[in-house]
Amino acid sequence: MNSAVMKKTMYFFVLPAMLFYCVFWIFPILKLFQYSVTDYNGYVQSFNYVGLSNFKTLFQEEILGVSVKNTLIYTFITVIFGNIIALMLALLLNANIRAKGFYRSAFYIPTLFSAIVVGFIWSYVYMPGDGLIASFLTKIGLGDVDTNFLGSYGKALYAIIAVDIWKNIGTSTIIFLAGLQSVPYELQEAGRIDGAGRWKLFRFVTLPMLATSVTINITLSIINGLKAFDYPFVMTNGGPGTSTNTLIYAMYKMAFTDQLFGKASALGIISFALIIAITAICVFTLNRKEVSA
Amino acid sequence: MKGIAAKKLLTHLVIIALVFINLVPLLIVLSSSLRSPKNMTNPLNWFNEFTLESFQSAFTRMHFMSALWNSIVLTSVSVFFVVVLAAMAAYPMARIRSKFSRFLYIFFLSGLVVPGQMVLIPIIQMIKGLGIPMNQYTPILMFITCSLPFSTFLYTGFIRSSVPEEIEEAAHIDGCSMFRRFWQIVFPLILPVTVSVVITQGVWIWNDYFFNMVFITKASDAPLPVAMLGFLGDQQNPAQWNVLFAACILCALPLLLAFLALQKYFVGGLTMGSVKG
Repeated sequence: MNSAVMKKTMYFFVLPAMLFYCVFWIFPILKLFQYSVTDYNGYVQSFNYVGLSNFKTLFQEEILGVSVKNTLIYTFITVIFGNIIALMLALLLNANIRAKGFYRSAFYIPTLFSAIVVGFIWSYVYMPGDGLIASFLTKIGLGDVDTNFLGSYGKALYAIIAVDIWKNIGTSTIIFLAGLQSVPYELQEAGRIDGAGRWKLFRFVTLPMLATSVTINITLSIINGLKAFDYPFVMTNGGPGTSTNTLIYAMYKMAFTDQLFGKASALGIISFALIIAITAICVFTLNRKEVSA
Repeated sequence: MKGIAAKKLLTHLVIIALVFINLVPLLIVLSSSLRSPKNMTNPLNWFNEFTLESFQSAFTRMHFMSALWNSIVLTSVSVFFVVVLAAMAAYPMARIRSKFSRFLYIFFLSGLVVPGQMVLIPIIQMIKGLGIPMNQYTPILMFITCSLPFSTFLYTGFIRSSVPEEIEEAAHIDGCSMFRRFWQIVFPLILPVTVSVVITQGVWIWNDYFFNMVFITKASDAPLPVAMLGFLGDQQNPAQWNVLFAACILCALPLLLAFLALQKYFVGGLTMGSVKG
């Protein structure tokens, strides 16, 4: 590098972005640490330091365990199913056929809808009685199947996870497709001549070439899952009971409905630690895999 | 030859079936939105009526034109600043190879894992503390901030891999200042990432309801997703289903049209950061 050209004064270019980033993102995050040891309610500007009692109460109450569990289920299912379905779609769309671009766009369309609209549409799809699934089942003579997905303790979480997968599958598919298109045809040909079967060809030729897109898709879906908030907020209000409370939704409710901002901050710190830990472990593992592949 | 044709046909059929399953909810919404508000026949008997009555009702009740204008202003102003700030910030991170530069890169990128809902109250305090008025433009600050991590990541990767340092060295010898070198030489060369940033960040900003909902209190200031939210939550004056469905379509229509017109850029933009690595 020529340091006469790439001078240290270049760092001035970072300043405007750094200003925004620190004032509206980093500083508020640091504030969260402070509030987590207070009884601040979010409105009245006076509060007392209460030590670690917010954390103690959280660890005694049920909500922490429930929302951690829900968030992990949410993340796990969206990451695994979302990516497997997207990869299969991409493999299918990568076939040498006409109208590829049209099909790809058809899968991408849901991504363009706002979460508000998606939540509303799917509340209608899941609605018991007149909803899409219910009226379809009635039509084919399965009218007595219980279709109250969003009102059921056991099913509501999975119902909103399905919505999340539906909305995001287009993006992952496009990223996988771009990866697939970068696999040189000669490589496949060589594998075939060497007598590799379909599975072996996929496992040892295609998949290693897809490493970057796999890393990107998995990382993005992990972060998206751990930050899940939209569909509990728009579709279920965390209910029934606490069955669709994710960490971020639980925290939001604690801060704005129950006005326990100190406690919500403590929950925020715990979520923060969890998100960072899981993301870091995954990114680290994926990067190592990518290099060795 | 026959075998290959049959196989292709089968692939088409499988894909069409999947596309259909994927789009059924949206097709039902479209079919219902094209019915009159009073048509309550089974939605599965789709496309049994074609009228724009529900659209007209939704159009006036959600103040579509003003909501659309608000969305356009919020999104374009935010995206403009994201492009300028992120491209500038990425420049030294890509060009200087030092521990500090590496730290900056990670520092910006790590902001990606923090959800906005988590830091909302300290953010509101910050905005009030700085004496920034809370109005329809306040969300722009948050859109810019939240877009920085991913945008700087894209720009840094691209400048590093695709803008040769030799060009800059040549410009330097010709007596070009650092500032001009960046805006007149580097910035035009990184246009593909700019397209990618405009599309990826533009779509989320356009669709965001959260920051808009928090900061915008006046109905006339609301962009499309918030107008939709107000429409859904209007308990005194509940709308018929078909009108709500028409509102859903209206809400998504501008982006759908943009996507149809600029498909190539959307697809290219999404895959920008993922293939280069």
